[in-house]
Amino acid sequence: MKGLYAEAVITGLGTIGPCGHGRGALAAALAAGKPVAAEVDRGAGLHREGGAQLAALVGERDVSRWVPPAAARRISFPSKFAVSAARMALADAGLGDAGAGPDRVGVYVATAFGSVLSTEKLLRRILLEGPQAAQPFDFSECVANAPAAQLAIAVGARGPNVTLTQRESGPLLAVARGAQAVREGLVDRALVGAVEEVTPLLHALLDRFGALARAEGPLGEMPRPFDRRRNGFLAGEGATLLVLEREDDARARGARILARVGWSGAAFDATASVADWGDGHAPLAAALRAGLDSLPGGASGVSAVVSGASGARRGDRIEGRVLRAAWGKVPLPPVLVPKAVVGEYGGGILAPALLALEGAPFGPTAGFEEPDPEVGVAPHDGGARGILERVLLTGLASGGAAAWVVLERAS
Amino acid sequence: MASFWEGLRSGRTAIGPFDRFDHSGHRTHVAAQVDLAAEPGRPRGKPPRLSLADRFAVAAAREAVVRAGLDLGACGGRPGVYFGSRTGGMLESEAYFEAFLAAAAGRGRQPAPGVLASQQYNGPGDAVARDLGIGGPVQTVSAACASGAMAIGDAVRAVRRGEADVAIAGGSDSLCRLTYAGFNALRSVDERPCRPFREARAGLSLGEGAATVLLEPLDRALARGARPLVVAAGEAATCDAYHMTSPHPEGIGAAEAIRGALADARLDPAEIDFVNAHGTGTPLNDVAECKALYAVFGDRAGELPVTSTKSLVGHLLGSAGALEAVATILCLLSGEVHPMPDGGAPDPAIRLRLVLGRPLRLSRARHALSTSLAFGGANAALVFTRHGDEGLVR
Repeated sequence: MKGLYAEAVITGLGTIGPCGHGRGALAAALAAGKPVAAEVDRGAGLHREGGAQLAALVGERDVSRWVPPAAARRISFPSKFAVSAARMALADAGLGDAGAGPDRVGVYVATAFGSVLSTEKLLRRILLEGPQAAQPFDFSECVANAPAAQLAIAVGARGPNVTLTQRESGPLLAVARGAQAVREGLVDRALVGAVEEVTPLLHALLDRFGALARAEGPLGEMPRPFDRRRNGFLAGEGATLLVLEREDDARARGARILARVGWSGAAFDATASVADWGDGHAPLAAALRAGLDSLPGGASGVSAVVSGASGARRGDRIEGRVLRAAWGKVPLPPVLVPKAVVGEYGGGILAPALLALEGAPFGPTAGFEEPDPEVGVAPHDGGARGILERVLLTGLASGGAAAWVVLERAS
Repeated sequence: MASFWEGLRSGRTAIGPFDRFDHSGHRTHVAAQVDLAAEPGRPRGKPPRLSLADRFAVAAAREAVVRAGLDLGACGGRPGVYFGSRTGGMLESEAYFEAFLAAAAGRGRQPAPGVLASQQYNGPGDAVARDLGIGGPVQTVSAACASGAMAIGDAVRAVRRGEADVAIAGGSDSLCRLTYAGFNALRSVDERPCRPFREARAGLSLGEGAATVLLEPLDRALARGARPLVVAAGEAATCDAYHMTSPHPEGIGAAEAIRGALADARLDPAEIDFVNAHGTGTPLNDVAECKALYAVFGDRAGELPVTSTKSLVGHLLGSAGALEAVATILCLLSGEVHPMPDGGAPDPAIRLRLVLGRPLRLSRARHALSTSLAFGGANAALVFTRHGDEGLVR
């Protein structure tokens, strides 16, 4: 059984992130297996003493290849990231802007925080200079759907324009929604993915929440997914967009198929607090297990897990428990953890999953040295992998939401 | 629900002076504010950190579940939550940020970060899921003013495909300084209560609140002895791909969304009995929406009763589409279209049959359309059919 969404395939990938622009730079970073971290500007005095200092930031911010300077002046960085990644993905798919009848192209983009800088600038003006100092540009770009809307305007996509804001599970929900739309014939093509921006303010706030990895005693600042000593994640930014279309259409036009979107599922852990992960792994595992059972070979048919683990203390714990419970007595396949390299947010899991299916090498999981018995998962050690036929992507969000997507090698 | 319908029928606007925040420095000074004294009980158990938008959402969701007569814990199904929000807990975030900036400048102490915990867009939907003990899919859409309608549309499809066998869908937003100042910066806020489709209209009025509906497969609802309110017959979404803040002047994207929702409902335009329009009261929106209606309904657009719930309760942003869906359902159930406040001549360029002053009793109230047009050109349309008139059970 191919799964409910088996007819949707991925034919294009565009990614812009801390590693650089495009898949080549990302593949090199994943092979190296080291976090792509840079120092965050702490000059504004927003950060606490002794807190996190690093983030996975987009260093190469010139996107004039994809966004002409005149247009770039009118849009925020998240919107530029989204437009750039979308145009990259369309070109990768052998398509131009919109890539089909524009009425039949949908956009499904996830973001956790939207354009933080636009929101911050607007609030600063309102609070410090008075409400009448508010600028229209900041207001129009601070809406969460600005990147998806600017993307649609740029490429002329007039199908559904959906922005999903479900924190860490958002990118997988976007893939699932886009695949459903393609499968059900609502659209001919879907641009799906995620975008995020990390500003000094967001970084400082996440750190004050205790969410970010920080230096502690003899340990330097780095995310340590699944490691016993993990103390937070690396905040990351960027955008990844994928082109989805029906398999028959893709084959008819001779497109290169990167992957088929297989089963997808979602669930909720109502034990989670507002901004943390919960303890209710059993119901999540049951939902995942039901999905795995629908796959050829069941759980054994999954060649690798591309995990959303990030180094978050409770997040990684429930991720590990869900995986172990879902697999039961069946041995877990290799667990790849790309967020150890590219950080949390910005769809950092999507492009690595496709690269894994293509056979790209992954280095050892950064920061993992001491297994955590509470987690019970040892992530990928950098060793050779066999050919991956089917990978499971996981996205467990703080607050309780969970999403999973299966990607399959398209023969 | 009863008091909401009573208010809608009265045709008296709830837009007026408000005190949710200090608006003395803003250009305009009216909004529609929820009376918190009348707010239903807080969420069960240990009080979690909830924003005002979260609380609205929880109260509305509880009412929907009670109205449905459904014990979610015992129904044995897989309930899901599909929610929309534009700003989540922005009201609380503003207070936090103000204190944060002051502390950074050496004035006062750093505020506790926990205050910010519910600021995320997904706060209201998550709060509902947590309060109701949901174990199925939970998804938040933030597509500005179309969020609530899109959330309901997503829920309709989720129920159809069996992804969730019960879906709580809706939206929630509270008034906040960011949106109030932002729309004022765009010169999109009327100094008076908004006047959709009127010649002298000068912009929207902001509001706050939440609305939710509970969806389940018709056969399942009938089997458990429930009395369905309406059938959620059709939904569709499109994008203008034209401009970030202005609708396409010809309403092309909105028209396509309406056509899509009608096709999804397998209805001919002639079968729609009234329209609950997006009807913000901004000069550009109302003209574009009128053109969209004419593009779909032809000359009949001038005969179709049209109302705008925003004229009574303001623009609820991420919750607007959900609240207007509920208003549309109540109109279908009563066989009446709720009025907009009387006063102010209709715009002669907008040749629509506006329902003004008093409710309009319909000779036929079987199918109704609700539209949502958002920032970024996102459009959503929903079609509801009175139960018993659906003709085709999916």
